Amino acid sequence: MQGKKYIMGIFKDEDQVVSTLAALKETAYKFQRVHSPIPSHKIMAALGLKKSKVGYFTLVGGILGLISGFALAIFCSTRWNLIVSGKPIISLIPFFIVGFEFTILFAVFGNVIGLLTQARLPSFKEVEYYDPRCSGEHFGVLAACEPMQQDGLKDFFQQNGGEVKVFE
Amino acid sequence: MPENNSEKAVSKKYGSGWIFFGLIIIGLTAFIYGILSPHPEKAWQAYLINFLLWSAIAQGAVLFSTVMHMTKARWSGPLSALSESFAAFFPLSFVLFLVLFLGRAHIFPWLHEDLHGKEVWLNIPFLFTRDCVGLLVLYAIGFAYLYNALQLRCDPDHVRNGFHKFIYKGWIRNNRSPEEVKKKMTLWAGLYILAFTLVLSLIGYDLVMSMDPHWISTLFGGYAFVKAFYVGLGALIILAAVTQIRKGKASGLAPSHFHDIGKLFFAFCLLWADFFYVQLTVIWYGNIPEETHYVIERTVMVPWSKLAWTVFIVCFVVPFVILLNKKVKSKPVFMVILCSAIIIGFWLEHLLLLAPALSHDVHSLPLGVSDGLITIGFFGLMVIAVSFFLKRFPEITKDSQVRPSG
Repeated sequence: MQGKKYIMGIFKDEDQVVSTLAALKETAYKFQRVHSPIPSHKIMAALGLKKSKVGYFTLVGGILGLISGFALAIFCSTRWNLIVSGKPIISLIPFFIVGFEFTILFAVFGNVIGLLTQARLPSFKEVEYYDPRCSGEHFGVLAACEPMQQDGLKDFFQQNGGEVKVFE
Repeated sequence: MPENNSEKAVSKKYGSGWIFFGLIIIGLTAFIYGILSPHPEKAWQAYLINFLLWSAIAQGAVLFSTVMHMTKARWSGPLSALSESFAAFFPLSFVLFLVLFLGRAHIFPWLHEDLHGKEVWLNIPFLFTRDCVGLLVLYAIGFAYLYNALQLRCDPDHVRNGFHKFIYKGWIRNNRSPEEVKKKMTLWAGLYILAFTLVLSLIGYDLVMSMDPHWISTLFGGYAFVKAFYVGLGALIILAAVTQIRKGKASGLAPSHFHDIGKLFFAFCLLWADFFYVQLTVIWYGNIPEETHYVIERTVMVPWSKLAWTVFIVCFVVPFVILLNKKVKSKPVFMVILCSAIIIGFWLEHLLLLAPALSHDVHSLPLGVSDGLITIGFFGLMVIAVSFFLKRFPEITKDSQVRPSG
């Protein structure tokens, strides 16, 4: 036993979750996570999470794509350096099309990689401390506390209008 | 309370109106001085550039409202109503176009050239007739749309002045039913969008592309109206930002509005660059001397090449890099600076398209103080027109009374 108790408050109403989260910040209990059956802007705002870093992955991917698109086009045309209809071997105007397409492609790759790494996917471990009702029509707020504070945390969730589930 | 606020803001605007009248007088003086000088063609060139730029701003900004109505967009909120205020420049734009007739000898270098059969299209009577009719149709449709749109925006219980009475009569004629008004708005908005594309293409061909009568680019018309929407959005962002700074929350403009219109502005920055690139690629591949000389003169030859790079950097590279950022788009003060820079960039872009054909054998850029002064005059005209409209219809900047136009 590491000495921590995990307790989940189970709510039926989105607004209750939001008010509980705000109240939880004022207490000494350690907030763990929220399980929600739907994506919710209200809960996202109440959590006050840091801005996602996925955008940076997309940006880096896009810049790399632009460079590699031009690099590929230039490399290929130097492998076959025949002058066709008076155009220079390395002519940047049409290569821009390749550069543009690669920008989009690599930006998408960057975005997917960013999403997977930031969300720590794929994940094969089953989630600890979970209640299947959170995949139905309930919201779950998980918090941790010292064993002696257990009753306090239970009361806290009940006061905010939720059911309580204690994990052993 | 918000009513008092806006009234105060409007009266303040009216109080400082003499500054803009002063600007108009400065511009007019510079222009008259220019046409009486030994080189009247320089003044006419500046006049033509400004006519094209400021008309495009007004036409493009009004297009925003019609597009928002047609797409049933709700995100635009008070921005739609604000964009309609640019319609006040329409009558001025039409008069300014008629004045252009006086300078025909200086702005059409093809007048005494052998046009090899093109004189059927390029002759003064036909050109002025068709452009005049085109502008009249576009502006008439714009006002017809506005007439219906304002019926929804004005408060029927609060008839202030003659304009309100006129709008109110229309509201009665439509049996006070918003559905009926919206139906008419949809009709006029659709016609406005169609007329916008056709008339701006026509103006683009007749007043910009024809300067080099032997050069053709079939996409030039499309390029002209995409550009007009781009600068129109820029001007709308400036107006929205100024309104927001003056009135704060009473203007009903939230950071999200600026973020959203910033995204649309960004998209049109890309689209403008795309239309430029698409023309360039076709000319580059074809490599026909009749087509390439136009591009080579403007992008490779001194003194135009530096101007070309300036235009490309100010109108595309800088806004592209800056607008990638989300926070920047919702900062009104910053957006005013950026959009002003882009509008100045498009002034230079018009110079780049027109001046090489109008002023031959120049070794430095034909830019002088008089160009700046004439531009200031046009700026004054635009501000006076827009604030005249906002003073007549102060309710359009009040969120509480703006009914969704979707």
